[in-house]
Amino acid sequence: MVLTHTTKDSYSHPFPTVTLAFFLRYCSPQLNPFASHVLSTDTISSHVDPATGRLHTTRIHLKKSRLPPAVMKLLPTSLTGGTSDKASYILETSVVDMREGWMATESRNLNYVGVLSVVERQLYTVPAARPSPAADSTDVETRVVFRSRLGDRIRDKLGQAQAQAEAAANDGSGGFFARLGARGIQRSIESLASTKTQDQLGKSREGMRIILERLRQTGIMGVLELRKMARERSLDAAHP
Amino acid sequence: MSQSLAPECNELKERYDTCFLKWYSEKYLRGIGTTDNNECSTLFKEYSTCLQALKERGIDKLLDEAREDYKENDATLMGRKKCKSPRHPGISVGI
Repeated sequence: MVLTHTTKDSYSHPFPTVTLAFFLRYCSPQLNPFASHVLSTDTISSHVDPATGRLHTTRIHLKKSRLPPAVMKLLPTSLTGGTSDKASYILETSVVDMREGWMATESRNLNYVGVLSVVERQLYTVPAARPSPAADSTDVETRVVFRSRLGDRIRDKLGQAQAQAEAAANDGSGGFFARLGARGIQRSIESLASTKTQDQLGKSREGMRIILERLRQTGIMGVLELRKMARERSLDAAHP
Repeated sequence: MSQSLAPECNELKERYDTCFLKWYSEKYLRGIGTTDNNECSTLFKEYSTCLQALKERGIDKLLDEAREDYKENDATLMGRKKCKSPRHPGISVGI
């Protein structure tokens, strides 16, 4: 069971600025009010390939409630580990090629993958009509793939006991999953997640636009200064 | 403020992030230093050492599991439909 969602969009900012905004997008809620659900961001590897000049970066983000509450409600606590831990780890890999003018990114969740895996791939490119990195707009194609393996797992678990489970489902005495049906659950999880993600994609675009606007106004040094000030304020608040 | 997963690494993360963003915007994006980003490497090493705490929280295990999981997923998905863009990064993690 797989659900795919593809969107095309464009930013009215030059390609280099858009790639910078990508790295800055979770940098501070003061910069991006749509990033308040991001609890932490860490770079775990970053290197330039000397042969291609491409920058490869891997980061891990911790985000609040990746799974929509409606999905959480569908699941027994044995699978979600209770509702208290609603944060999910996101692995983000990116490759930037300044010479060729593209950036490819991929984000996937690291936990709950047995319930739902979401893989978001984005390709940022200099518009083909104006093939120069100095062009003043950037195209982005976003492709999100949702896959729920929950039903597969349940079927696996049932294994040889499947016949009995089906029999139980037929007479109405089966468990929650047997009644709802594995395929039904997969479909529900994928479509709920897809609806939620479309909403979040809108917010993530908004966030990128705010950062891009800030970069246009103050440049990177202004953004770094703002980031520093926000940090000092939060330190002051922590240690008055 | 974007924190580190390991709060004790915040200071080191901050220094590395600032270095990276400056290098990226002032050099890499201008086509300078596209052969290496060594100027932040000392800061990255310090930060990275600190992040070893991630392992204690089981992130490395999650990564391994995810790799296995996605290998399987990708095999299924890619088998059906050729990936349009060969440029996409695979998972390459160095912790």
